[in-house]
Amino acid sequence: MSTPLSIKHIDSAQLEGLVAALVGAGTTVIAPARRGDARDTVGYRAVRTMAEVVLDQRPDNALKAFFLPPTDPLLHYERKGKDVTLTEVDPQIAPRVVLGALPCDVAGLPIVDRVMNWDYRDEPWFGRRDATTVIALACDKADDACFCSGVGLAPDSPQGADLLLIPTPAGFAVEVHSDKGVAFVAQHAAFFADARDATEVQAFRQRIAGLLPHAEGLDPDAARTWIEAHFMDPHWAQLALACHGCGACTMVCPTCHCFDIVDEQEGVTKGTRRRNQDYCQYGLFTLHGAGHNPRGDQGARIRQRVSHKFAIYPDRFGAILCTGCGRCSRSCAAGIDMFEVVERIAGLQATLDEEAPTGGEL
Amino acid sequence: MNLYQPHLMRVTERIAETSDTVTLRLAFQDPSVAESFAFQAGQFAEYSVFGEGECTFCIASAPTRLPLIECSFKTVGKVTKALSRLDVGDTVGFRGPYGNHFPVDDWKGKNLVFIAGGIGLAPVRCVIDNCLDRRDEFGDVTIVYGARSVGDLVYVRELEAWAARADVRLVKTVDPGGETQDWDGEVGFVPTVLSDAAPGSDNAVAVVCGPPIMIKFTVPVLDTLGFSPDQVFTTLENRMKCGLGKCGRCNIGRVYVCKDGPVFTATALAELPPDM
Repeated sequence: MSTPLSIKHIDSAQLEGLVAALVGAGTTVIAPARRGDARDTVGYRAVRTMAEVVLDQRPDNALKAFFLPPTDPLLHYERKGKDVTLTEVDPQIAPRVVLGALPCDVAGLPIVDRVMNWDYRDEPWFGRRDATTVIALACDKADDACFCSGVGLAPDSPQGADLLLIPTPAGFAVEVHSDKGVAFVAQHAAFFADARDATEVQAFRQRIAGLLPHAEGLDPDAARTWIEAHFMDPHWAQLALACHGCGACTMVCPTCHCFDIVDEQEGVTKGTRRRNQDYCQYGLFTLHGAGHNPRGDQGARIRQRVSHKFAIYPDRFGAILCTGCGRCSRSCAAGIDMFEVVERIAGLQATLDEEAPTGGEL
Repeated sequence: MNLYQPHLMRVTERIAETSDTVTLRLAFQDPSVAESFAFQAGQFAEYSVFGEGECTFCIASAPTRLPLIECSFKTVGKVTKALSRLDVGDTVGFRGPYGNHFPVDDWKGKNLVFIAGGIGLAPVRCVIDNCLDRRDEFGDVTIVYGARSVGDLVYVRELEAWAARADVRLVKTVDPGGETQDWDGEVGFVPTVLSDAAPGSDNAVAVVCGPPIMIKFTVPVLDTLGFSPDQVFTTLENRMKCGLGKCGRCNIGRVYVCKDGPVFTATALAELPPDM
């Protein structure tokens, strides 16, 4: 747990004022809010007032949509005879504030930064990252699908947050965790007060400690060891028996970042080249033009997703590509639970470790 | 400039290699790009037809022949179909070069054996021409090239040029039944013909590219000829979108074809999980 650079306090009324001031100044504020649909769902969206913001329910979409949109224009083209004119998409993103995001969503941002900066800097991603101040809210909304504490995070993890709000009886303690957070607090100093008695924060932390008793014992390192040695294991095919291959798990995931690049015609001569979110659970994802498919069955595709998160990404980028948000488990129509998947795999490794000869005797 | 913004190129020549394989000769439209562009043998690029999309192929011409840039492809899908319909003067998008390359500089003084099947000659031809342009740096050069039939041979003009050189040994072959009456090459599958040609493995490297079935049966022949897996190089292709390690589909286990490849030694190939 990184130590905050400083701690402030903000009253509920002042937070309302802050949102009004931000929106008034033309800043987009993104927060969990009701969509107003028949099922009364809550998701991240742009809000106009604090009254729209819902802080006591878990948003059902991933925050990543605001950094890696489901569809994102890369460039515009226009054909004229044999010539083509390209128009760049303006890389400038207006300043934005994310408010009240789940720590597990926020933690995904710096994890995905690593691949987006792998030798080549992905400007569309970092343009949005740089333009966005992220204010996370420490979470007390854990359910059975959650397992953040099993992958090295916590309901009050500040990873990826510029500011972390921790609920107190009178409002929120505000932990400042980045230079961007320092600048934000300085810029909006009128809304922030000095930190209050630390016991209020401790009371909240005591309440959320141990909310995820099942997750604490997860051993992702053991899972990684097993995955790296069991590429051809029948376990993958077995796991895939339940899977419909719908890809919902990848759509709601805060760290799934795979994409497609397609041209979309707009009339006869013009169009836009777009980056669209893509889903490794689809057979078309890896299908070769000549007909061969390296991941031709669902077992291979599930293996790819689980391996990517718990073995390949840790190996290449030093971080688990999963924040334990549990959204994939909640979204799975077949009831595949990611925590159970990883727990089972870690268990397979534990069994192997137990069976392995420990001494020098044969 | 955005990472995904391609350079514009113009088709300067269109060559129909076979009934379904086309080579496009391309030139950068922006003179400053043409001047500064550099790549190494084995690297690939994303080629696009605006309105259809992008496609991944190696650069099939040699870096020593810049500003000439060629790509060769088989018409299999939407983008390759659109590319194949292009003609002289048309515009193509180009992003690259990406990926690693054949370590040609490490091969100085060595004998070179090139083995290719079908359209697999495209990436190998880039290295062949690159090495032939620097001919005095290398020892013997042997080329074994096969296709299903005489009509499926690509780069026929290069084959003639290589055959005419005294410092190149060209062995060309077609699969049994693929020969014509005036065919002057071998008849047989590449691994068999390679075995008969028996190039020496001492102080040599082999570059192999072709359909998986050819690779599968060629690698043991090279082993019999005494080539160690470190002496054997190949280039892989997988479906790609970005070419930059981000879009998440070309990896074979932990290995990203776009970043760690596309060029691999047989040693590295053997370590890959069977996800190909």
